[in-house]
Amino acid sequence: MLSANLNTYLVISLFMLILGLYGMLQHRSFIGMLISIELMLSGAGLNFMAFNRFLAPDPAIGQIFTLFIMGIAAAEAAIAVSIIFAVYRRYYTADPADVHDLRH
Amino acid sequence: MQVALFLPELMLILMALILFGATLTPMSTGALSGLALVLAALATAAAGLGFGAEGALFFDAYRVDAFSQSFKILITFGLFLVIYLGPTLSGVEERLRPEYYLFLTLSAVGLVLLSSAVELLTIFVSLEISSYALYVVIPFRRQREHREQMEAGIKYVLFGAVATGVSLYGMSYIYGFTGTTYVTELAARMPALLAEQPLALIGMVLMLGGFFYKLALFPMHFWTPDVYEGAANETTTYVATLPKVGAVALLIRLVSLGGVDVSQFTWILGACAVLSMTVGNLSALVQEDLKRLLAYSSIAHAGYVMLGILSVGGMGSASAIYYIAGYLIMNLACFFVIYQLAPDGRNVTFTDLKGLSRRSPLLAFTLAAGAFGMAGIPPTVGFTGKFIIFTAAIDKGLYSLVILAVINAGISAFYYLKMVRAAYCQPQEGTETTAMHLGLPAALFGLALVLLIILVGVFPQGFLAIAEDAVAALS
Repeated sequence: MLSANLNTYLVISLFMLILGLYGMLQHRSFIGMLISIELMLSGAGLNFMAFNRFLAPDPAIGQIFTLFIMGIAAAEAAIAVSIIFAVYRRYYTADPADVHDLRH
Repeated sequence: MQVALFLPELMLILMALILFGATLTPMSTGALSGLALVLAALATAAAGLGFGAEGALFFDAYRVDAFSQSFKILITFGLFLVIYLGPTLSGVEERLRPEYYLFLTLSAVGLVLLSSAVELLTIFVSLEISSYALYVVIPFRRQREHREQMEAGIKYVLFGAVATGVSLYGMSYIYGFTGTTYVTELAARMPALLAEQPLALIGMVLMLGGFFYKLALFPMHFWTPDVYEGAANETTTYVATLPKVGAVALLIRLVSLGGVDVSQFTWILGACAVLSMTVGNLSALVQEDLKRLLAYSSIAHAGYVMLGILSVGGMGSASAIYYIAGYLIMNLACFFVIYQLAPDGRNVTFTDLKGLSRRSPLLAFTLAAGAFGMAGIPPTVGFTGKFIIFTAAIDKGLYSLVILAVINAGISAFYYLKMVRAAYCQPQEGTETTAMHLGLPAALFGLALVLLIILVGVFPQGFLAIAEDAVAALS
């Protein structure tokens, strides 16, 4: 049974945002960082759906917004993964800590 | 007629399609950049024709008015200048050159759409169009002796995605509170909400925080030095100029949602602006690589522009438009010199500047004009811009912010003048000085930039009038 309380969803989505940000800072691989980003975007999507379900006068807007977020997230992942491949070919690693030519 | 309203965008999309065709056929770099240049000139002409058009498209999600049309002219003209600046694309991998122009154009399409978008979803999608094209273009640098472009690319895309996530999260709160995504409807309700609901304030700050990424404003500035240094000189020229113009258009629209009163919201933005200036200027003092130095300087300039943007009402927003247009020209002047100094596409340091006035007086003078302009020394456009922004902020009573900004402008003079000193007062070490040969197009370009920097600074009235008309169209 899904919760009928708006706050449940808001807390879950906030948790996803924080977890994503924490993952961005802590994760030891580019793929892990990409997953963290997807988590943040999903958090925003969940928020839109929750507000849409409980508060919005026109329940279409939030759903469309969420669909767009999913599409954009997929495009983002494609670009990020292709650049991760390019990095791997030059540096032979997917560990962000090893990719640091540009620090002076 | 509807098509006339959409003419600049259509022209840019056509340009992208033609350039896509060019990626399928073998072409020399010369022919390619000639084609891109002609198409960009046509796009600029289309944007010029569209000036004065007014109307709404796509269920009112897309508004064509004096504000958007001025920015479209600025963006398409900027694209033209960036393409003109680097005709040989010496820093870009040879087999990727056709795609390079394609992605630059796509990014410009996104920015042009952004300047007209008045609905959150439209804003979000146009911003992503322009960002994604740039993410792809950063690693295009010639690979033989470099690999740091890959690092720059991955940093840009990952941090950019985080910024997107943050601003989407902010948008979701704003949508939750108001139930609408149209900027005009938000403008009616946001000032009251911002005063009463802390969560609405958080939503607004998160949303803008994501957009700060494009402008390289503190706390979203950290990508700038690495991306500037890692990307090819031509790419950096683009990244350093056009996206900032688009970001200013967007921020002027969204910050004015907060209303004209000085509130908590103003002070949060003011703190970001001042921190941005301080962090940028202090870090720039110790840089050796010119692109890295200009990266920190761009963080500082983002702070000055933000000071103009947050002084909503009066001259504030108009001064921000004037300043970012001036910044576009001054930055182009500096990057033009960098591009000319490194025919092989490497990074330029202070050592390369030594004895420049002997080798090429025109390049040295262009650099001096750009550097004096950014330092805010009269009679350049940088001085006039800073003057108007500070006046607007004083009118709003933001004295403390202005004092900090003026101190910062003083600090920044040190490293700008260091560039001029290296070019004029220090002899080149070792080898005998040989005169550099600038082609006629490049020499004309340098002269035109110098003239623009001085003339726009000395006669700002006409440009300010356009900027004020643009801002008046907002409300």
